[in-house]
Amino acid sequence: MSGIYVHIPFCKAKCRYCDFASFPDKIGFAESYMACVYREMAMRSNELKSYNFDTLYIGGGTPSVIDEKYIAMLVAAARKNFNLAENAEITIEINPGTVSAKKIETYLKCGINRFSVGLQTAIDSQLIEIGRIHNLKQFEQCAKLLKGRNFSVDVMIGLKNQSIADIEKTIETAAYSGANHISMYALCPEDGTPVYTDYLNGELPDSDEVAAMYEFGVKKLRQLGFERYEVSNFCKKGFESKHNLNYWKRGEYIGFGVAASSCISDTRLTNTFDLDEYFKCILSNHFAVKDSQKIEEAERKEEFIMLALRTSRGLNLNEYKTFFEVDFLREFAEKIQKVREYTEVSDEFFKIKDEYLFVQNQIITEFI
Amino acid sequence: MAKKSNIRNFCIIAHIDHGKSTLADRLMERTGQVSERDMEAQLLDSMDIERERGITIKLTPVRMFYKAKNGEEYEFNLIDTPGHVDFTYEVSRSLAACEGAILIVDASQGVEAQTLANVYLALENNLEILPVINKIDLPSARPDEIKTEIEDVIGLDASDAPLVSAKEGLNIDDVLEAIVTHFPAPDGDDGKELQALIFDSYYDNYKGVILFVRIKEGCVKSGDRIKTFRSDKIYDVVETGVFAPNLTPKNGLFAGEVGYIAASIKSIQDVAVGDTVTCADAPCAEPLPGYKTVQSVVFCGIYPLDGSRFNDLKDAILKLQLNDASLIFEPDSSVALGFGFRCGFLGLLHMEIIQERIEREFGLEIITTAPSVSYKVVKTDGEEVFIDNPSHLPPLSEIEHMEEPIVKADIYSPPDYLGQIMDLCREKRGVFLQMTYLDKSRVRLEYNLPLNEIIFDFFDAIKSRTRGYASFDYELLGYERSKLVKLDILLNGDVCDALSMIVHEDSAYARGRTLCENLKEAIPRQLFEVPVQAAIGGKIIARETVKAVRKDVLAKCYGGDITRKKKLLEKQKEGKKRMRQIGNVEVPSEVFMQILKTNKD
Repeated sequence: MSGIYVHIPFCKAKCRYCDFASFPDKIGFAESYMACVYREMAMRSNELKSYNFDTLYIGGGTPSVIDEKYIAMLVAAARKNFNLAENAEITIEINPGTVSAKKIETYLKCGINRFSVGLQTAIDSQLIEIGRIHNLKQFEQCAKLLKGRNFSVDVMIGLKNQSIADIEKTIETAAYSGANHISMYALCPEDGTPVYTDYLNGELPDSDEVAAMYEFGVKKLRQLGFERYEVSNFCKKGFESKHNLNYWKRGEYIGFGVAASSCISDTRLTNTFDLDEYFKCILSNHFAVKDSQKIEEAERKEEFIMLALRTSRGLNLNEYKTFFEVDFLREFAEKIQKVREYTEVSDEFFKIKDEYLFVQNQIITEFI
Repeated sequence: MAKKSNIRNFCIIAHIDHGKSTLADRLMERTGQVSERDMEAQLLDSMDIERERGITIKLTPVRMFYKAKNGEEYEFNLIDTPGHVDFTYEVSRSLAACEGAILIVDASQGVEAQTLANVYLALENNLEILPVINKIDLPSARPDEIKTEIEDVIGLDASDAPLVSAKEGLNIDDVLEAIVTHFPAPDGDDGKELQALIFDSYYDNYKGVILFVRIKEGCVKSGDRIKTFRSDKIYDVVETGVFAPNLTPKNGLFAGEVGYIAASIKSIQDVAVGDTVTCADAPCAEPLPGYKTVQSVVFCGIYPLDGSRFNDLKDAILKLQLNDASLIFEPDSSVALGFGFRCGFLGLLHMEIIQERIEREFGLEIITTAPSVSYKVVKTDGEEVFIDNPSHLPPLSEIEHMEEPIVKADIYSPPDYLGQIMDLCREKRGVFLQMTYLDKSRVRLEYNLPLNEIIFDFFDAIKSRTRGYASFDYELLGYERSKLVKLDILLNGDVCDALSMIVHEDSAYARGRTLCENLKEAIPRQLFEVPVQAAIGGKIIARETVKAVRKDVLAKCYGGDITRKKKLLEKQKEGKKRMRQIGNVEVPSEVFMQILKTNKD
């Protein structure tokens, strides 16, 4: 399995927790930017001729903020330059404050078959607090437009002044909206973002409180029919995100656009975070790669383990053997012994016990 | 070469910060030994640690030539001395190589604890003492009062004492002249059998051990066969020379001179500082009066952070010992920390310096355990043993009683802080001896104090409670019977031997509580709950709990996050490497030393 990722670095306003590459004041460059993305795809086309792609993920920023025709052209460009499967999973991230019936219609027409909607919280005051541009009502309208479609909703925990009741309302809102997939993320205050100041001021819930919110969320989601299949991802049976599962299997993927990452034939690439530089590179027919790193086998193993253990089913022992031609349980016998209280071994899988999934760094570092 | 009557061998003694190294630099500069532009700050202090801390640890001799007002040229040999109480032994070594001592007294601070301690040492060695009053350029200088103080407190005539400012270079010539007139020339006969005092040594990778000597009688030159009194090994002298200030070869050293001998000596253990060098073929009858043997006062365990680097640590300690005979060590092992060494030091500063040098000069990361003193344990069968490692204490049933080392402490302070100092001494189980007013602004307090109460933070405490005005010195008195108990720390139910300590019964409960509180802060949360308990002889006296960690994960990990997540985990892994696994609890290595320092004050 292999995936394609495209980064759309525009949005209406920067959320207070956001440290991704996104430029609210440069939305006027959208057309030129998209032209560059199509060109970047064309530049990689030949090199990736032998690859079969199963997923396309359009993320951001806010992809839904730009004119939908560019999105349609993007999907077409992907199909033109790469072997993208007929039934490929094609996802777009959308912000409830930026959609319309016409937009959704265009998306569907061009082949997009999965939507990821950023709700974050169902409490309007908290939406304002974190700098989102939408409110609960807009989310509900958005959900109506997506009725019967395959869509996911993002929610957040660990927000300032957030109570367990707020989380309950948010999860219920997401679940009753018709979504078949919910991502529940703990707020991560990154240095340099406005919420980091809140964190320094002690205004955010501490790690024990966040853990309690998480445990509550996991339980609530299960009651509503959403099973956890990765630390932060929950879905109704059969609705896992194929694109993301590929990351956790340490599959190959190619990224396009500012700040996009790729992992192709054991080399990790990251594009420049600088929009101007991206333009300059692509317009002069150069790749916009800022960082390129060959990953040696020992590190590939570490990556494989660290990614696989994020998932509920755990590390697939047969896949490990196929990849590395060595038996995982034998190779790491001593370390597995050390963490035996927190893990489970079955015929096919080595996994972190459900109750320890949220403290997995402590366990994974044993394998690094 | 100067005539014997024109040689002056002397040292400079002073309380820390009274300007010893600055005056030495000034003397060297004025005699043309070094030009001003070549001077690196404080020439004699050549170790990085010495410069950074503003202290002198190693002795560094230097030779100078001075043309006196009487028209004659004199050879001066200055032997620098460490100023800190820990290094009393080093001071006494260098004093024995001299005829005179310059006593520097700060013109505003006056006589301090170490001033007096050093004067007594100089008098014991029959040295002529020349008082010099320094820092007269300071607005707070009160040279006349200080002169009176020197006369009253020390009993030295200070009427002719040169008044100088080493920093400003004021009146340095007065000191140079006084060295000529005040200090006697060395005696000794070049024709007699060789008798040379080793006052220091260091290990050179190419030349072997270099002996720093004062020739008392006879002479020595390259080609001579020499031996020391302690061992019977015979060495061929390869090179002799003087300190100018770097080692400068000069063939032949004669009675009265100070210089060095290189004789391809492979091991510093073969040549004890204080020993006498003589000619192997025509030895002198008697060695020079011996030194007192150095006694370790403070002990601690030193372990490699990375257990596999035990041999590197061993090499490092052996190499340091080449230059520092006062460092003693023996292999030791701990259940918690694995293999390491139990080391003995002259004092707390000495210990810190050795620890720092191991880390800096050998790039080794180490874990050190809390410092301890040596206790005398009298067993029920009458046997007496000395224990400096709490985990080696015999079972309670075998102990008849225990004794702890007591020091006599001298504290000098302005009278305003008497209350604070007396409170502190009381808290530390001090016994008041007497109080003397030196003048209206300075009081001398004498106390008997248990050594184990002052090795942790007494010096810092006294400085902070008196805003740095008080000075402190101590000497060992001997052992006194005391109610001592072993305080154990249990992590997750198991005793951690590296954290055990011997404390006085009365303070055991408070210590146990503080220790548990500090450990609770210092031990990171693990996947399970960790009880931290303090116990005396199996009875739990305090408990804290390190709660289990509940969140330790990066919320998102998609294509662009993988590199970042990897870095994060690697960082976490690095942190883990700095931990020691005690049972199944991971404990940061700093804990073993640090928890004791944070004794809330």
